[in-house]
Amino acid sequence: MTETIGIWIAAFLTLCMFSFLYKDNPFYKFAEHLFVGVSMGYYIPYTYYNAFIPYAYNPLFLKKEYILIIPFIIGFLYWFRFSSKFSWVSRYPIAFGMGMVGMGVPMSMHATVLVQMRSMMLPLNNINIILIFIGTISILLYFFFSKAHEGVYGKFTSIGIWFMMVGFGASFGYTVMARISLLIGRVQFLLGDWLGLIK
Amino acid sequence: MKRQIPLMIVLILGLLFVAHVFIPSKISTDYLEWFMKWTKVIGPFAIVLGVFSLVYVHYNKIKRKAPTWGYSIVTLTALVVTTAVGFIWGIQEGTPYMWIFKNFNVPLGATMFSLLAFYIASAAYKAFRARSIEATVLLVAAIIVMLGRVSIGQAITHWIPDITEWILNVPNLAAKRGIALGVGLGMTATSLKIMLGIERSYLGGKD
Amino acid sequence: MKFVDRIQKVDRRIIYVILLLAVVLPLVFRLGFKTYTTTPVENLYRHIDAAAGKDDVAVLMDFTHDPGVLPELYPMDLAILRHCFERNIKVFTISFLPQGAAIIQMALSEVKEDYPNIEANVDYCNFGFKPWSTKLPIMLGMGDDIAEAVETNSEGLKLENLPIMQNMKNYDNIQVVVEISGSSMGQFWVTYARAKFGVDVAVGLTAVMAADVYPYLQSGQFVGSLGGLKGAAEYEQLVDIFAMYGNEFSKNYARDQAWVEAQYEELPELARLYKYNKARIGMDAQAIVHVLIIFFIILGNVGYFLDKRAQKKKFGK
Repeated sequence: MTETIGIWIAAFLTLCMFSFLYKDNPFYKFAEHLFVGVSMGYYIPYTYYNAFIPYAYNPLFLKKEYILIIPFIIGFLYWFRFSSKFSWVSRYPIAFGMGMVGMGVPMSMHATVLVQMRSMMLPLNNINIILIFIGTISILLYFFFSKAHEGVYGKFTSIGIWFMMVGFGASFGYTVMARISLLIGRVQFLLGDWLGLIK
Repeated sequence: MKRQIPLMIVLILGLLFVAHVFIPSKISTDYLEWFMKWTKVIGPFAIVLGVFSLVYVHYNKIKRKAPTWGYSIVTLTALVVTTAVGFIWGIQEGTPYMWIFKNFNVPLGATMFSLLAFYIASAAYKAFRARSIEATVLLVAAIIVMLGRVSIGQAITHWIPDITEWILNVPNLAAKRGIALGVGLGMTATSLKIMLGIERSYLGGKD
Repeated sequence: MKFVDRIQKVDRRIIYVILLLAVVLPLVFRLGFKTYTTTPVENLYRHIDAAAGKDDVAVLMDFTHDPGVLPELYPMDLAILRHCFERNIKVFTISFLPQGAAIIQMALSEVKEDYPNIEANVDYCNFGFKPWSTKLPIMLGMGDDIAEAVETNSEGLKLENLPIMQNMKNYDNIQVVVEISGSSMGQFWVTYARAKFGVDVAVGLTAVMAADVYPYLQSGQFVGSLGGLKGAAEYEQLVDIFAMYGNEFSKNYARDQAWVEAQYEELPELARLYKYNKARIGMDAQAIVHVLIIFFIILGNVGYFLDKRAQKKKFGK
């Protein structure tokens, strides 16, 4: 019974959202505001049970690891964000979290730059790799605006534009596919779970 | 106190993390363990910021009787009810909390994004114009990929999926790699700027 | 009004209705288009399948996605779980988004009802939701000790006491990390977990991001990828034609359409359930709509060029 009611509610809310395609209307606005409230309300119990209790409350109050009172207090400092006089206090927990960027410097350099550069040119033993090499270099040079794109340099960088147009075309084709897939999913729900036309 | 000490914290922790990546000693591992433990304690407190911000905005709308203030009541009621249901009956499978997720969150979230399909169809008809040779190349590549990713492409000729694979594995790869390299270098530069205190926008505020 | 003007000024709501019909009709009247598998999906399938029957190796699935991308990613979730349960592959599931944790519960309960012998904390373990701020600590901590980094499962039980964790210590016991998300979080795993500990990483992505992963596939940083609904459909097929028969993967057979069709003739009823075929059924509609979009692009451009020529004739060069 609750499942049936749930499916009808889900179908009603789906149709409320789709009603925006005709024009903005109270049903759509209602569904939109409901979504915001439910989404945020959903976060709170999950964060409490799965984060606050096991990582903050239990270690400090049950396991008596009293040193953790310091990060507990640092966490509380977040809440000063809304005070006009003491909002600077919230910078401390933010700064603590930002400390991890230090790890990002060498690691992103390795994973997103060095490994990719290596794969771009080793081994240069077939036409496709050579094309990838030329394409990547020309694109990188295209975005180097400190030198004027003239003469031979300009012609080489224009090769990058062609590679980018094909790349963006591929992304566009995939984006169309993605958006249509989302619609197919909702229609499958309406026709299958709600109306029972597809089994 | 207000800016200098947080920047010093970022610098010191950042440098220690850089050292941690290159130094495989016990001190380095212990440092990571300590940081991980403290981050797990600090993390949950941030949720309050988002909740308070939402409540504050909508409460003010209701108080001032701003236009569409009635919908703000819907938002706040949904927030309170969902939270209460989660705390009273728990968050496991089979609870009212999960029932709300399946029958409210899922259809609302999924449908909101599925509206884009209609806009892309409308844009395909009204806006995607081959105004230049580059735009034509883009559209032709898109059409080949769209046909190649479905079985109709294979049914027309096996060349379409083969060309699609070549497009994805060569020119698309080169383009995305070039962009990824730029992004990677940018990320490294931004991380360095944050660590050295040159980039301070994450701190917010004027003082 | 001239034909050119008429086709340029079609009401967008007519386009919406045509699109809706192009989606609805193929779903109701199944067209049964074939699915052809591609290398990135086959590589992921083969990699996961290599853990079949092993007690000391698991697949870690990271469900960092929300309901907005469920139509593309949920069939992937079900297909990978079905593969693992069918081939006795241990599974860990985790999410750094609360919605993802609920999706894990939905997916596990939906697949488990067809595999009554699969036991929680023995054959699979749901680590549940861990806050976003703990993603990096947990990702790095699992390189030393999974039980210490994650601490508890979704029910609050200590990991070190669970039967599944008896032979599992760190990333050496993780066959592959499969990040299923609508964003570029797979690169996070590559940057930190793979770079530091060498764990294999794969991604299940929405189609929007699918074209962006090819550099990482070529460099070997991703061992495989599932791109959108098509990727999910391919994986569903691979599970049907190999896992459901208890066979190991073979690329030659996977690409042999006659052999694939023969496998479907004696497929167990379980594999014919609607929930395990959603992606392939959806691809019927996808194919028709792709043709429709291409038609719209061509028609729109024909109108544009005809209009441009007419304007040129009227006003000169």
